Amino acid sequence: MTSRELDLLQGTLDVLVLRALSWGTMHGYAVARFIRSGSDGTFKVLDGALYTALHRMEERGWVESEWGTSEKKKRAKFYRLTSAGRRALRAETDTWNDYVAAVARVMTATLEAAT
Amino acid sequence: MSAHRDIDAELRFHFEARIEELVAQGMSHDEARARANAEFGDVDATRRSLREIDSRIARRRNRAEVLDGMLQDVRYAARSLWRTPAVSITIILTLALGLGVNAAMFSLLDVIFLRPPAGVVRPAELRRVWSERTFRDGTRFWPGFDFSQFSAVARQLEGQADLIVYGVPSQRKLGHGETAPKASVAAASATYFSVLGVKPQLGRFYTTDEDRVETLTPVAVVSDAFWKREFGGDAATVIGRQITIDDQRLTVIGVAPAGFSGTELTATDVWLPMTTSLGPRASLRKPWWQNPNINGFQVVLRLHPGAPESELAQRATAALRRKGIGWAQDTATVAAFGSIIAARGPGTLKAETAVATRLGGVALIVLVIACANVINLLLARAVKRRKEIAVRLALGISRARLIRMLVIESVLLSLLATVAAILAGQWGGALLRVLLMPEVRFAASPLDGRVFAFSLALAIAAGALAGLVPALQSASPELTSALKAGSRDGVSHRSRLRNALIVCQAALSVMLLIGAVLFVRSLHNVKQVDIGYAVDRLAFATIRFDTRDSARDAALGARIRALAPRLASIPGVQAVGFTGMRPKFGISWTDFFPDVDTVAGKKPSGFYTAVSPNYFSVVGTRLIRGRTFDPDPMRSLPPTVIVDQAMAERVWPNTDPIGHCVHFDSPNAPCATVIGVVQTNLFQSVNEKPEPRFYVSLDHPPFKAHDESEIVLRAPADRLVALQKSVAELLRAEFPGAIPITTTMSAVMEPEYRPWQLGATLFSLFGGLALLVAGIGIFSTVSYAVSQRTHEFGVRVALGARASDVLGQVLGEGLRVVAVGVVTGIIMAYLSGRLLASLLYGIAPTDPLTMLIVAVILMGIAAIAALLPAWRASRADPVAALRTD
Repeated sequence: MTSRELDLLQGTLDVLVLRALSWGTMHGYAVARFIRSGSDGTFKVLDGALYTALHRMEERGWVESEWGTSEKKKRAKFYRLTSAGRRALRAETDTWNDYVAAVARVMTATLEAAT
Repeated sequence: MSAHRDIDAELRFHFEARIEELVAQGMSHDEARARANAEFGDVDATRRSLREIDSRIARRRNRAEVLDGMLQDVRYAARSLWRTPAVSITIILTLALGLGVNAAMFSLLDVIFLRPPAGVVRPAELRRVWSERTFRDGTRFWPGFDFSQFSAVARQLEGQADLIVYGVPSQRKLGHGETAPKASVAAASATYFSVLGVKPQLGRFYTTDEDRVETLTPVAVVSDAFWKREFGGDAATVIGRQITIDDQRLTVIGVAPAGFSGTELTATDVWLPMTTSLGPRASLRKPWWQNPNINGFQVVLRLHPGAPESELAQRATAALRRKGIGWAQDTATVAAFGSIIAARGPGTLKAETAVATRLGGVALIVLVIACANVINLLLARAVKRRKEIAVRLALGISRARLIRMLVIESVLLSLLATVAAILAGQWGGALLRVLLMPEVRFAASPLDGRVFAFSLALAIAAGALAGLVPALQSASPELTSALKAGSRDGVSHRSRLRNALIVCQAALSVMLLIGAVLFVRSLHNVKQVDIGYAVDRLAFATIRFDTRDSARDAALGARIRALAPRLASIPGVQAVGFTGMRPKFGISWTDFFPDVDTVAGKKPSGFYTAVSPNYFSVVGTRLIRGRTFDPDPMRSLPPTVIVDQAMAERVWPNTDPIGHCVHFDSPNAPCATVIGVVQTNLFQSVNEKPEPRFYVSLDHPPFKAHDESEIVLRAPADRLVALQKSVAELLRAEFPGAIPITTTMSAVMEPEYRPWQLGATLFSLFGGLALLVAGIGIFSTVSYAVSQRTHEFGVRVALGARASDVLGQVLGEGLRVVAVGVVTGIIMAYLSGRLLASLLYGIAPTDPLTMLIVAVILMGIAAIAALLPAWRASRADPVAALRTD
């Protein structure tokens, strides 16, 4: 993994996980799959980092966990957003959008405007 | 651990699912596994960090659960206390009493024994210097030194310890006039502040140059409290302000930091350079810095890091023994270093302080008695709550949880009691200070964080103790089985516990009461001692001036004595006499040379008092042989002297001293003939052997005697108060600008009797409280026993027992338990008697009569307490009793 990828991922992993869970209760593997398919391989997330993020968010009170049964009838740990988690998602999304918009403005600005 | 298993399971599920998916996409199993591993990253590192996070989560959850359970229990406890307000209030008051007494005692003992002086830097390095001196009644450690001793020790220890010297603060007049306020003033060397590590909050402290022994620099440093009290805490104007202390104008140069009030129990308001405080050349033969008679200076040192303490003490001893240092007879003196906290020794405690330490023990005993009563009350309540507890146990609550709930209940009770106790402690602490050490002006109020923490800790301990015993009982399995059987069974072990409580209360009450009776009898004994004065019927009066005037002062004695006829006409006055100095006010001594050489080899120096001819008959000192002075002041008479018995025995053993000769001041002085022998009266303390004494005539002293006349008036005890006022008015009219000073012999003697007075009062108070609490305990226990056995009594009455038989039986059973307690208490008092022995007067701590008196008192109270329930038992209705079955 190159450092360029790392920088991108560190800041956005939390918001991606929160976004995944906003679709409903899911286990860690489902979250991983969501991120992998959503990004279409543009960036790589290590699954280990993903689990660390999940547990850390549980410590922070953003998600709750519960043991349940997967689609294939196997015991799996499911995660669910708490209301604090939903609030965090909103805040992180806003920050992310502002960031994207700012980057976009810079990228599309004409030379004329700069002079 | 299940948390670790959970993490392993979660990760296993992840890998299984991923591999399964990749295999479904057409990979081989091995390829899929390798891919999944690559996608995951470092599995072990991840597992470690997940474990870390999860254990943090688990810890937090546990804490929250415990707290939640506690909160639930506290809420439950509060509700159940609220349901039985009468019992709760009784328990709270009982505990508040026990805790309050302890808070008050702790506040006093903490200041005396535990806490180093506030505001001093690194007090552990400080040492108070003592010297072992030989007094007439043996050797004793003494904290006072003269200046030459201090200088010698300071020079000897230079480089290894820094020494300071200062005087104990004394109350001196601020400004002029009869109503002028007093300030607590102390002389202190210039090094005082720097060695103690104190920095001025305003201005500066005085320098070594300003503290030279030969010159007087009129500067003063004031305390923060004084600055706020006298100058309203005005920072702009305090430096440079003038204050007048004892007619001396001084300039304030600095303010000590807040909180610092010196190193003695009494707070210091004003510090002065040594000579500024003591005068450049006092009216003494030698100035203060060369005078071995001015030897009350305190010496404190700060040890340098690593200084060999015991070696330094030896060197200090050597310095004190050097020739020309201190008193000539101090050759055997031993220097010792003690804590900066003076009460920690090595000097002996003042009697009042010693009484205070015993009262600390008494306070704990009162608390134990209170706890016993609380246990009793909680037991009684537990009986009423048997159903509720049984239901809870049946519903599956753990025994540990039940015990915890019940203990929380009693801790809650004792915490509520703490609130009352701290209020009581604040008030009681202030009262104890006034009672035990009225001379000490403490810097801080009795209540502070330490007292608060102590009370809280004690309350929790007491609450847990008082709650645990009934809680263990309630949660015991026998109880539940007993419930099924009905209320009459399963009672016996419960009443055993109650009986044990009664034995404990009775025994402790006996101990306190024995203490009380011992002190009451000591006080009686000490007041019976003939000290040579009619203590209850004497008043003294004299005058002081704010300013000096040598011509006026020289004539003062004669002018005061000329008032005799007018003083005699004051209503109530039976006799008027005069003395140079009232008893216990101070001492005067003189060199003397008798016509025999029985005192040769010793420094011929003796104490004397100048008196009017009728002095002995006025104060009540018996004339044993010979006659008193000639009453005619006008006639010129040959010099005469009267001696007391102690002097007669010392100088002229086995001979009649009358007609013998004494030369005062020098062997060549004219002969003063001994004309009378009087009873040896009190010198300084009732506890010591009186010092031999001469009496000389005020009108015709055989040498230049101290003759500031004081008036002695004899009057009936009930007239003394009014009489002091009349005398003061007369003196004010006669001497304009003078300040009359009056007192009574009882007031003079009060500090002498104080230790026994205090022991008698406080032991009686605590003993009385203990007795009351124990009486209530006996009453409720016997009542309870009777209520449990109504059936039995009914049956017995039905079978023909007479009421008096039942009464006698119940009374007998109750008193038997109390008797066990009384015997236990007497044994305990006997064993602990030596703790009081040194504080008693004329009575042994194991005095059998005292023990008998207390046994009778306690059995009497117990009989009264048991009588009502016993009478009720004797009236048991046989029909009603039989019907309940």
